[in-house]
Amino acid sequence: MHEHTTEHELRERLSLIESMIAEGRRKTESWGWTFVLWGVVYYAAIAWSAWDRSPWAWPVTILIGIIATAIIVSSKAGNHPETTLGRATGSIWIALGISMFLLFLALGLSGRLTDQHVFLAAISAILGMANGASALILRWKVQFACAVVWWAAAVVSCFGSDTQSTIVFLVAIFLCQIVFGIYGVIAGVQRRKRHRPIHA
Amino acid sequence: MPELPEIDPIVHGRLRLALLSLLSGVETAEFTWLRAKTEATDGNLGAQLLKLEQAGYVAVEKKFVRRKPQTLYRITETGRQALTEYVQALKQLLGLAMDGESTFHTGSS
Repeated sequence: MHEHTTEHELRERLSLIESMIAEGRRKTESWGWTFVLWGVVYYAAIAWSAWDRSPWAWPVTILIGIIATAIIVSSKAGNHPETTLGRATGSIWIALGISMFLLFLALGLSGRLTDQHVFLAAISAILGMANGASALILRWKVQFACAVVWWAAAVVSCFGSDTQSTIVFLVAIFLCQIVFGIYGVIAGVQRRKRHRPIHA
Repeated sequence: MPELPEIDPIVHGRLRLALLSLLSGVETAEFTWLRAKTEATDGNLGAQLLKLEQAGYVAVEKKFVRRKPQTLYRITETGRQALTEYVQALKQLLGLAMDGESTFHTGSS
């Protein structure tokens, strides 16, 4: 059987290919909830350490964050395909979680977590590195802007006063975790709404 | 007059084209994920995936994960080649369309 194929149909096929390839590769937007979760984890750790100066505040809250993320991820795992891009970005965040847990556990237990400026600079620089690497892999400008905010927070922590560095760190968490995470969730929902069924 | 490029009727089907394009961007994908992305019915999706499998464009792997059956699909090298050639043919046809052609004959499944 033969059928007539119009120019419009050919163009529609090309755009279908592009949108489906992009759909297969787009995963980070569906991870917006993890940014919000980790923003809450950082705020909880800051509140706990400000309250009783416990060396366990950061390692314990980070461990709780890792466990919560692992539980939610394992319950959603079946719905996501495996991609090289997904594994590359995923490995950055897994390595970040392990690094932060080990670093702050060791610093807390050794009693060397005494300089707030060094602590905030280290955590901000690590988060800047992870966001920057992920943004470069995904070519995502909004996430790169988050990396720039974290790097700026790291520099301010070194030169600013106690109050200035704390305020900048809290603002960076709000912008790069909470706001960016909600933006990711909304972008994912809007993309799903635009999605139309494909018939044979 | 330039010769019109051949369009692969297996790849040309809308749902099959969507499936091949989706699979080209991932290593493996579950049936449920493909269903969610295409919003096709189980029966239609299964039938189109079977056609792609019979053409050698898609490979299927069935396994159990936590005692639940899981069907994984991946695009084969032949499938990737067919998709690449299809895109090239489309671009060629569209190039011809810009030069004045507007309707083409294609093989259809």
